[in-house]
Amino acid sequence: METFDLLAQGLLSALQVHNLIYALIGVTLGTAVGVLPGIGPALTVALLLPVTYKLDPGGSLIMFAGIYYGGMYGGSTTSILLNTPGESASIVTALEGNKMARQGRGGPALATAAIGSFVAGLLATLGLAFIAPFVVKFALSFGPWDYFALMVLAFVTVSAAFGDSALRGLTALFIGLGLGLIGIDLQTGQTRLAFNVMDLLDGIEVTTLAVALFAIGETLKTASDRDQANTEVTAVKGSVWMTLEDWKRSWASWLRGTFIGFPIGAMPAGGADVASFLSYSTEKTFSKKPEEFGNGAIEGVAGPEAANNASAAGTLVPLLTLGLPTTATAAIMLAGFQQFGLQPGPLLFANNAPLVWALIASLLVANFMLLVLNLPLIGLWVRLLTIPKHWLYAGILTFATLGTLGANGAMSMGFGPVRISFELVLLLAFGILGYLLRRFGYPIAPVVVGLILGPMAEQQLRRALAISQGDIGVLFSSPISIVLYVAAIIAVGVPMILRLRGQGGVLGQLATDED
Amino acid sequence: MNKLLLAALVTGALSAPAFAADYTIMAPAGPGGGWDQTARTMQEALQAEGISGNVQVTNVPGAGGTIGLAQFATQENGNPNALIVGGYVMVGAILTNMSPVSLDNVTPIARLTGEAVALVVPAASDIESVDDLVAALKADPGAVAWAGGSAGGVDHITAGLIAQAVDVDPTQVNYIAYSGGGEALAAILGGQVTVGLSGVSEFASQIEAGELRLLAVSTDTRVPGFDAPTLMEEGVDVAVQNWRMVAAAPGITDEQKAAITADVKAMAESATWQSALETRGWVDTYLDGDAFATQLEADKSATEAILKDIGLVQ
Amino acid sequence: MTTGSSKPERRPDGAALVIAAILAGLAAIIFWQTSQMRLPPIQQRVGPTVFPYVIASGLVLLAIGTVVSAMRGSFPERSKDDYKPIFWIVGGLIGQILLLSTAGFSIGTGVLFAFTAKAFGRGPLWQTIPIGTVFAFAVWFIFAKGLQLSLPAGALERLLTTGTPF
Repeated sequence: METFDLLAQGLLSALQVHNLIYALIGVTLGTAVGVLPGIGPALTVALLLPVTYKLDPGGSLIMFAGIYYGGMYGGSTTSILLNTPGESASIVTALEGNKMARQGRGGPALATAAIGSFVAGLLATLGLAFIAPFVVKFALSFGPWDYFALMVLAFVTVSAAFGDSALRGLTALFIGLGLGLIGIDLQTGQTRLAFNVMDLLDGIEVTTLAVALFAIGETLKTASDRDQANTEVTAVKGSVWMTLEDWKRSWASWLRGTFIGFPIGAMPAGGADVASFLSYSTEKTFSKKPEEFGNGAIEGVAGPEAANNASAAGTLVPLLTLGLPTTATAAIMLAGFQQFGLQPGPLLFANNAPLVWALIASLLVANFMLLVLNLPLIGLWVRLLTIPKHWLYAGILTFATLGTLGANGAMSMGFGPVRISFELVLLLAFGILGYLLRRFGYPIAPVVVGLILGPMAEQQLRRALAISQGDIGVLFSSPISIVLYVAAIIAVGVPMILRLRGQGGVLGQLATDED
Repeated sequence: MNKLLLAALVTGALSAPAFAADYTIMAPAGPGGGWDQTARTMQEALQAEGISGNVQVTNVPGAGGTIGLAQFATQENGNPNALIVGGYVMVGAILTNMSPVSLDNVTPIARLTGEAVALVVPAASDIESVDDLVAALKADPGAVAWAGGSAGGVDHITAGLIAQAVDVDPTQVNYIAYSGGGEALAAILGGQVTVGLSGVSEFASQIEAGELRLLAVSTDTRVPGFDAPTLMEEGVDVAVQNWRMVAAAPGITDEQKAAITADVKAMAESATWQSALETRGWVDTYLDGDAFATQLEADKSATEAILKDIGLVQ
Repeated sequence: MTTGSSKPERRPDGAALVIAAILAGLAAIIFWQTSQMRLPPIQQRVGPTVFPYVIASGLVLLAIGTVVSAMRGSFPERSKDDYKPIFWIVGGLIGQILLLSTAGFSIGTGVLFAFTAKAFGRGPLWQTIPIGTVFAFAVWFIFAKGLQLSLPAGALERLLTTGTPF
């Protein structure tokens, strides 16, 4: 098979010693910058991309692959250890991961994230190599009606999965939905809820909200809560490594996460965040110990982290085969590819075969390097928790504001000679909101989920109804949408019925049967 | 949510010597798009040709460039080293967003490039020509779903003008806005919409691969390298060009304006710029001074008229 | 945090009533702003006002639910929070916002750094502000100079990179 030959050639060149060193440097840089709270993968890739320009094409490609996977992975470390995700896709990792870290199980949480990322990255990169044309066909067949159904599924499962009170979970979700209304309406160009503030025309930046609610809110809560401020965090309790039990609970989650993340990452309107939300709810449904969710269930880290990384590879499917950047990170990478002489599009595999396979080989090598680098570092990372709190949180706020400033921080408002960054004002306001939500027992994640999914659901619904000229039937007209609605009904219905019949254990058996 | 989040990505020439005219160019869009690429190509050409020693590019994305424009107009007043990239999309966005700042609040220097809007259908579509499209539009305007960029942008304006030119009520145009050429492309390839509109370069690789059929281009002349007629040739009296320009800060003196114009002209004529145009597939439509001012005014009033007809501007 | 740890006397929860009022207020703002929108006459099956009205209605229902929950006293018990650290951190953030354009990134962020440390009980400020400023300058140097991130520079940054504070 020609494909294998090309891949083998790519791998041979990627495995040369100097290329391996470039991969290691890329992975190290990507992880090092990506790990900083407040600096997500898009910013990481954008910042580090110019570093690769100075090398020969093969070397820069492989270093770039390392930076990409390193940046995608780096965010999970601080999410788990410090509850400060730097971007939307790591939010669900923080939910269970941070609970684990607080019980001294930060090591296993980081390990399942690293190995899950590796497994997902490996499978998804192979998927990119061999089934990209089919995946892209599937992804393109998603019409607005199907996306709307996907959003409904995400809403339903997500609101069922977060928090212990439906009232407070929904309130948090609706706050996010309300924030999502702000800005110019894409379909009509009309401004909504911008209150004549120019900076609001483009809406609320998801990263700013996530960093504020988590990093700033967490800092405020930790500082003010007397009990929390005085408790010493145990960095490690038991082994730093995963136990046999952890492995048993993780492997299926990795595979499910990959299976969810790869196609959703490939969808033009999918993305790593949607994939991680769906993976989290799937894990909660399939878990043999659903009662552990919310208290540090390892599946809740393993699945979403795998989904996150699989979707990172999935994003490359439309990017390479259609020239279609579906995320901010992908848009920056497109610029990078052009620098390497890759012209993404339907003819890419025909015109640029050696370079494409070199890229895929580089991704495989980078993915492996990531594991090599990060597993030994876990022991070191968990020691982050032993940094005295006053320095640790001072540092977190430094990086949170740095990331916000660097990404959107233009000094757009002024009083006389003093100019201020509106984005930092938002960061402060949402940080206080994050504190208040924590104080009154509201879950945080649904706010961000609402901000991400609300505008998507609205645009897709309106597109669907515009195309059908108002016929509501279009929403249920495609097989994909019907499957998704059925899944949504099952996701809500089955746990409810089981709970009503008091047979929660059946879920566990169901999961065993399906494995 | 595909807003691009960065104000970074500066290819740095750190050690460049300081010349008299250092420029800061604002790209009022995220990295990767047309305005950003224009700004970065300018940066490259200005530095490579020694016209300016140190050129910085900043990105202020959002709202069809009006966020960046407002920031530029208020903060750079009188600064002879500040430039902003802009274009036709801004003209429409200023009107639909009711932006408090317009192009009258900056000092337009020159038009640099232009690009035709491509009218495409999926390869499997029944629509073979502009005539077929016009017939479908006349039969039932609502049944023709047009996919393109944000509402009020150049794609939307083109759709409205086509409808108007063939005596269909422009408010009946069933225009579906996507957040960028890429997302619209996915909808067209997926066959969810009837016809798609975007810059020729956005669709180029799909047209070449035979996945999309190029019905026509919107400019008054054909686009080299593409085997497609203009709308005029097809009997639809529409000529739209998505041009890009560079403007300077408000409140600069005439001498300063002349100096900037001279620098920009030197850049536009340079070998670096010309070869960059070729590799990127941009058409040189350089125009400065009074001729540009006249054209700008004409475009502004024509745009306002069509946006009112479409119903986006009251 | 557990639900239903209601106090035996079941007095209405004042804070929860305030939350309900805020939610209702948010709904009112969305209703009012949306009603002010001028709708374009173009073909729109679901216009730009539908979602705002749906979300605002949802907020109203949630406000009502919150009132009910407050009356029942079914809000989770709250930890006893100390507000002083919050003032320090919020003060630090405000200080940074105001100082960035004049004093530059390092000093502005140094203030944030020191105030945050103070919130966690580490002082005195005359010691921690210089520590924070040095740390912030190192970070600024790596990101602004090494990686070309656009971060505000002030006199200190210019002095240390070009030799003159201008």
